[in-house]
Amino acid sequence: MSVEFRDVVKRYGTATAVAGVSFTVEAGTLVTLLGPSGCGKTTTLRMIAGLELPSEGRILIAGRDVTNLSATQRDVSMVFQSYALFPHMSVLENVCYGLRRSGQNKAEAADRAREGLKQVGLAGFEERQPSELSGGQQQRVAVARALVLKPSVLLFDEPLSNLDARLRRQMREEIRELQQRLGLTVVYVTHDQQEAMAVSDRIIVMNAGRIEQQGGPRDLYERPATPFLARFMGESNPARGSVRRLAPGKVNVRLGEAEIEIADTGAADGEAMVAVRPEAITVEPAPGPTGALSGKIAKASYLGTHMEYSIDTAAGTLFATCPRVERPLSAGTAVAITLAPRGVIIVGQ
Amino acid sequence: MPRASLAWSVAGLLAAVVLPWYALQEGLDSGVWLSGLWSSEDYASGLGQLLAHGRWWLAPVLLALAASSTVSLLPLERERQGPLLLLASGIGLVLFVAQALGIGLRGWTVDWLNILFGELDARQVGIGAGGALVFIALLSLLSIGLALRGGFGGDAFVAGAVTTVGASIVLFTAWPILRILLQAFQDGDGAFMPALLIDRLAVEKIWSLRCLVGGGRCGVAWNTLFLALACGAGTTALGLAFALIATRTSFAYKKTLRVLTVLPIITPPFVIGLALILVFGRSGLVNQFLEWSMGVPPTRWIYGFQGVFLAQLFAFTPVAFLVLIGVVDGVSPTLEEASQTLRADRWATFSTVSLPLMRPGLANAFLVGFIESIADFGNPIVLGGDYGVLSTEIYFAVVGAQLDYGRAAALALLLLVFALGAFFLQRHVVGTRSYATISGKGDSGLPTPLPDRARRTAQWIALPWAGITLLLYGFAFVGGLVKVWGRDYTPTLDHYAKAFAIERSADGLIWSGAAWNSFWTTVKLAAIAAPLTAALGLLAAWLLVRQRFAGRATLEFATMLSFAVPGTVIGVAYVFAFNVPPIEITGTAMIIVLCFIFRNMPVGVRAGMAAMSQIDRSLDEASLTLRGGAPQTLVYVVLPLLRPAIVGALVYGFVRAVTTVSAVVFLVTAEYELATTYIILRVINGDYGLAIAYSCALIVLMLAVILLIQLAVGERRLGRRAPQIQGGRA
Ligand SMILES: Nc1ncnc2c1ncn2[C@@H]1O[C@H](COP(=O)(O)OP(=O)(O)O)[C@@H](O)[C@H]1O
Ligand SMILES: [Mg+2]
Repeated sequence: MSVEFRDVVKRYGTATAVAGVSFTVEAGTLVTLLGPSGCGKTTTLRMIAGLELPSEGRILIAGRDVTNLSATQRDVSMVFQSYALFPHMSVLENVCYGLRRSGQNKAEAADRAREGLKQVGLAGFEERQPSELSGGQQQRVAVARALVLKPSVLLFDEPLSNLDARLRRQMREEIRELQQRLGLTVVYVTHDQQEAMAVSDRIIVMNAGRIEQQGGPRDLYERPATPFLARFMGESNPARGSVRRLAPGKVNVRLGEAEIEIADTGAADGEAMVAVRPEAITVEPAPGPTGALSGKIAKASYLGTHMEYSIDTAAGTLFATCPRVERPLSAGTAVAITLAPRGVIIVGQ
Repeated sequence: MPRASLAWSVAGLLAAVVLPWYALQEGLDSGVWLSGLWSSEDYASGLGQLLAHGRWWLAPVLLALAASSTVSLLPLERERQGPLLLLASGIGLVLFVAQALGIGLRGWTVDWLNILFGELDARQVGIGAGGALVFIALLSLLSIGLALRGGFGGDAFVAGAVTTVGASIVLFTAWPILRILLQAFQDGDGAFMPALLIDRLAVEKIWSLRCLVGGGRCGVAWNTLFLALACGAGTTALGLAFALIATRTSFAYKKTLRVLTVLPIITPPFVIGLALILVFGRSGLVNQFLEWSMGVPPTRWIYGFQGVFLAQLFAFTPVAFLVLIGVVDGVSPTLEEASQTLRADRWATFSTVSLPLMRPGLANAFLVGFIESIADFGNPIVLGGDYGVLSTEIYFAVVGAQLDYGRAAALALLLLVFALGAFFLQRHVVGTRSYATISGKGDSGLPTPLPDRARRTAQWIALPWAGITLLLYGFAFVGGLVKVWGRDYTPTLDHYAKAFAIERSADGLIWSGAAWNSFWTTVKLAAIAAPLTAALGLLAAWLLVRQRFAGRATLEFATMLSFAVPGTVIGVAYVFAFNVPPIEITGTAMIIVLCFIFRNMPVGVRAGMAAMSQIDRSLDEASLTLRGGAPQTLVYVVLPLLRPAIVGALVYGFVRAVTTVSAVVFLVTAEYELATTYIILRVINGDYGLAIAYSCALIVLMLAVILLIQLAVGERRLGRRAPQIQGGRA
């Protein structure tokens, strides 16, 4: 079911945690709330769950106004960052809990709980205590516990932050797979941009209690609207350049002595803030082709799959990644830089 | 929510129509009112009183009730329904309180109403079942209205719980205390004279410091303070030692130790005093032995600070133990293991991790010990001698030749200030830091054994103390089995026979023993009070720790209030507040039960709060998002994790009801005589044998009840990995 926020504000005393946000989560999609720590993601999620009531604004779930309903009265389940497994209950009892509270009898609840555990690959762990499980397993129990209720909205608050990197990737794929298989509406909170891009249909980027930008992962990565977003969604080099409009649909961007033609995003002529993606930078030993930016390598590191360079140029120090690991350039080398138009983004005046 | 609205609307309307509005002389269970619900002026329901007996002032109340019910049942938008319901039920409550306070036994209760409206020819007695239920229904509908408006997280149960706890505390704690404190500013005729308070308090008898400089006695205020500080520190240290030994060592007699620490708490307060006198008193064993062996003349050494302090240590350490055991138990082993992997040895771990984590518990235990001490009446009266404290001063002001209620009230005010000081100090120490250590992540650590140094210290403190306790009980027990202590040590069972004889006759058994009447009354009232005390206490604790609402701090303060006020004052205050309408329950069993509940609830609140602040909040929230409403969350998640606190609250509720003296001395009647007041009378008559025999029977009763409670509630299952037996290692 869809979730809608209309101008929602949440204040704690004098502090404002969420400063007026509006968005819609379409039914059957996975939407991520992404942003740095303290930007109000958890507060927003808890307001969907009904664990906090907004100070202002309205919240709708499936078109129904639920603003003043308590958590129990909303058809919403949540997976907590700390998992919040009940320490005095076995795995099965934990998963049964919500079913029993919704009025199912014991046998029925146990059957559905077993099925839920099977769905997350934990068949056979029913009688364990939560303390007898690994972190990943605890996580899955928490997911199963929320899932078996078939909630109209499922919420995740940084569900993977307690797991190791490999498990994190595996779990996020499982969550995404589960969501698509069952057609769930999911709101997912994370501060990890890669995680957000991997699992989401849409991403809502928050900053300081406000929505900075929302859209599909590709939109946000390729067309970030602000310098904050360009920095937060993947790596980018901030630089100053000048913009000149050419033929319709095209603009010319000048960075130092380099000039690139990119698609028009409606920027005005003149000075502009430009973000340059590191993977859009091609580095060659000087002298390069005409129109290239010249610079000198300040730092070089070998990362197996690619090289990372810091390069001093007239447009500032640029950070670049380069897939050609077989011919590395060492620090101090004079280089010529060319930029791929796809990775040059105008992010403001 | 519609179900709750329906239930309360129906209950309220029924109560207004088919239950007698006013209190009955005969009691509700007599059934005589059934035929007079309309016709009899005494038995009529609210509606009957209004229509048939001309009590017009009930009309607006009943109208407001009808309006609230209608609003709550109409299919309205939440945005409209909430405020409307709030308005209707709020007006109803205000009108209810106004008529209850404004019209009494002889018309208007205050002069300006007489002047304003002229003499009123009507009267009303105390509120009965019908009136009370209408009040409760209005209160519940108000809560539902608040929840509909989004108050209390939109949860009607939480709203209802807050209003229930709040209203009952206002009625049965704040109101009586306010009544008696007003006395501190009034002269004998009830005129208001603030300057009197200063006259009453600014006297040398209270504030003298002559015991420190230049010989003489200190004022009772200083005496009270010294004693309370010593008692708070002592009981906390002893309680911690016992809690550590019970949970963190492999000491072989842990179970015995646990029972032993409970012994003093199930003993009527004066028994410890009596036992101390049997041993250390003028004709006690120690003095007799010293005189016999070395010719030392008997001394009155035990009477004074030392005696009271000792007796209080024995009496209140178990309370500290009960507060601390849940806390020590709840310290997460993983944190201790984490500390050990951070290069901290066991001692450093204990002193830098475990102890600081126990700080809320320690501060709580100290507060409890401090306040118990200043409120204690039994021990100072038995052992104090010249060492007067505030509670005994108040007692003598009330019952002595002075009969000066104003002075008693002024002293009570001073006592309250001390208690509040301790309360705020405690809040300052604990602060707002979170000590959550039972988290929703499975805790797979093993409880760390106590470091040697701490273990030895704990055992060195606790074991001798346990030994002396045993010895004292032994002597007290023997005291009930000999003819006359100090003179005639011939063994006898006479005292028991006198108290608990049962004779067989043609009509069956005759309970002919002198004690049976008070014994059964005590058991009955304590059994009613204990579960209510525990329930209300833990509910209040849950609200205070887990819910955020306006007035939270006030509520917390109010729950502690009755605890900080000495029993003597509470007793007198109850008599003052509840012998006139609107609440007229003096002389009933109800007033005794209420006094038990509101006097003993604060310990349940404290223990519950300390235990609950160790349970991660996300566990509650997980339950809430899993369709468990607030009441289910409480039952299935919070309470199972709170088992130690529940046992503590139940045990305390029962035991204190059985052993309390000072508060109920003014409340008992011939019909409802209690065990302790009966025993006190025996003691006053010099009948030590019977008093001790009866006390022993009470102790046995309470032991049985404690075991029963422990069995019924069970242990907390935390699913921590059990410590492996370290066998098989080379
Ligand atoms: N209960 C609370 N009381 C006061 N301030 C709070 C409370 N909860 C959150 N905040 C504040 O609101 C802001 C947003 O918090 P949160 O939603 O938890 O951020 P995050 O995006 O990291 O999840 C933070 O500045 C935090 O300090
Ligand atoms: Mg967060």
